[in-house]
Amino acid sequence: MSVKDRDIKELSEGLAGEVSRFSEAWGIFSKNKLALSGLAIFIAFFMIAVSGFFLTAGEEPLLDPAKVRLSEKLLRPFTSFDVEMVRPEDRPVFGIYLFGTDDLGRDIFARMMQGAWVSLTVGFVAVGISIAIGIIMGGIAGYYGMYRMKFMHLLCMFIFLASGIMYASAENGGAFIMFMAGTVCLLLSVGYYFFYTRRGADIPVFRFMFFETITADSFIMRFVDIMLCFPTFFLILTVIALLPANIYNIMIVIGLTSWMGTTRFIRAEFLSLREQDFVAAARVMGISDFSIIFRHMIPNAIAPVLVSATIGIAGAILTEAGLSFLGFGVPPPHATWGNVLSDGKRFIFDAPWLTFIPGISILVVVLSFNLFGEGLREALNPKLRKR
Amino acid sequence: MFSFAVRSFFQKLITLFFISVISFLVVYLAPGEPSQIDPMNPKFTVEDLERFRQEFNLDKPLHMQYYLYYKNLFTGQLKSWKDNQPVLGKIVERFINSLWLFIVGTVITWCLSFPVGIQAAINRGSVFDRSTTFFAYVLISIPSFFFAYMLIIFVVKNFNVPVIGMQTFGMSGAGAFSQVMDRMWHLVLPSVLGALGGIALLSRYVRAQMLEVIHQDYIRTAKAKGLSSDKVYYKHAFRNALLPFVTMFGLILPGLIGGSVIIESIFAWPGMGRMGYEAILARDYPIILTINFIAAVLVLAGTFISDVLYMVVDPRIRL
Repeated sequence: MSVKDRDIKELSEGLAGEVSRFSEAWGIFSKNKLALSGLAIFIAFFMIAVSGFFLTAGEEPLLDPAKVRLSEKLLRPFTSFDVEMVRPEDRPVFGIYLFGTDDLGRDIFARMMQGAWVSLTVGFVAVGISIAIGIIMGGIAGYYGMYRMKFMHLLCMFIFLASGIMYASAENGGAFIMFMAGTVCLLLSVGYYFFYTRRGADIPVFRFMFFETITADSFIMRFVDIMLCFPTFFLILTVIALLPANIYNIMIVIGLTSWMGTTRFIRAEFLSLREQDFVAAARVMGISDFSIIFRHMIPNAIAPVLVSATIGIAGAILTEAGLSFLGFGVPPPHATWGNVLSDGKRFIFDAPWLTFIPGISILVVVLSFNLFGEGLREALNPKLRKR
Repeated sequence: MFSFAVRSFFQKLITLFFISVISFLVVYLAPGEPSQIDPMNPKFTVEDLERFRQEFNLDKPLHMQYYLYYKNLFTGQLKSWKDNQPVLGKIVERFINSLWLFIVGTVITWCLSFPVGIQAAINRGSVFDRSTTFFAYVLISIPSFFFAYMLIIFVVKNFNVPVIGMQTFGMSGAGAFSQVMDRMWHLVLPSVLGALGGIALLSRYVRAQMLEVIHQDYIRTAKAKGLSSDKVYYKHAFRNALLPFVTMFGLILPGLIGGSVIIESIFAWPGMGRMGYEAILARDYPIILTINFIAAVLVLAGTFISDVLYMVVDPRIRL
């Protein structure tokens, strides 16, 4: 044992042992029974969804969610199949219908397994999109917030946007002209910028390009305010109904309409982190902005994002189920929990399992995400610990 | 105060302008055109299509369509594409129907969540606290359409009353009392369902706010003086915990439209949400856009009211 190690040992005798952040958070988290059970259900759901994907995918799946057996309509859960009527290859895997069948004789167990994968991917991809946008927007607003946008930035942005809009409304000629104008504008301002900074040449005509307008922070945060004014579910419904129906559109649209909370969190965290010593030290060491943001600041700002992501997944699963319920979800042969429930609602008095099985599944999964997220919030937030 | 009001008003006006542009673009740039809603219909000739497009300004460039749409909206001449009725008249009628649900739901929310939240905060860690916490999460997590069907089965089986629609078919000739009772029955389920999420969130918020307050020094002083616990909690603590909720009166306004789509569709309640849903199905752009616009106006008005209320109740705040 070297001298130094002994010194440290002596010095730290009366102090509490060093505890890493993770194990400290885990210590708090594991005391919370609700959150723990949430985590357990979350892991179970994850495995069910992944196995559901492998069991129901492909040409000859083990569990076929789309197999129609007209003789086996609306059977109760745990009924066995009719040996005379069902062809051998159409028989359910376990010899019984675990969750019963629907009005077309499709196996609800297979449909639920397929739907679990849909719910999982919709939740994760939608929240992934919203977190990515939120981190980028919040990071810019928090880190470069003081930067005043020049007139040329706004001008280029406006021209390119207009060109995109014209392209979308099938005015290709106008779109092309606008696109060229935007490019010319961009090149001019970049060229002028280089001349100005390198040579010191000043062309008064172009000086208006560098008029300072609003700050980047207020530009982004006003946009957040605008997005928050939309009635979210109604907006999602509108866009989904107008776009061609497929699962990717749902994920993207839910993601694009739910990034505002993350942006606000990240911005608030960045505003306080930016002033701290370790960021100043990193800047003094000449580390690039990119790695300051991604290596040093984001790991310190990630806790509230993780919490809102977990709760966001719950919200996305509920939104997808609501859309499927209204008939705008994933197109028909594909099963989701929302459209199993929506198909079954016509038989609510004759075949209540068609409503209750998907309904309770959605409830349990969403509840587990919410409980897990709240437990995480408690474990990661030092302010809540004492209470 | 006055300068704040004026400044905020103009800021909100600018926000509203951008919202109008974005929602217009979202709806109008979506693939497909409302004139093609029924392409297989043999009665729909090419000339009809042309006339349709001309009638609804669909042949004009986009910025002209935008201008004409909002000009018609503000002069009250905007017509629904589906049945050629004035949009504002249709919306006002549906708005009043939704208002009923909204008022009953809000009253239920506020009457339930305050007692629950306060009790949970006072008896922190008790069985009551833990069970209300758990139920709050259940209420947030339950899909409203699923819960709606469970309630419908329960009510129809146990009380034998119809709950779909706004009133029972053929009731118009009945006496005033039975009409009122009938309306009440129809009102209860959708408004309770609309209120559930609000109850869960608000009671959690009340609990957190009360917990914040009852650890303050002046509460300890009040207890030390020997005041009864009712007086300490309801007179000293609650009044101070109430502050953020006064401002929430403004923020509940947007609830009038958001989130009512599913509930109103299930209960066949002729309100705004269901009208929006039907308009989306029929690609009735004027109605979709107008509902969006009204929703945005409600959000902005709500935040404005809550800002002003905040200043009124808390004299320390100067905006």
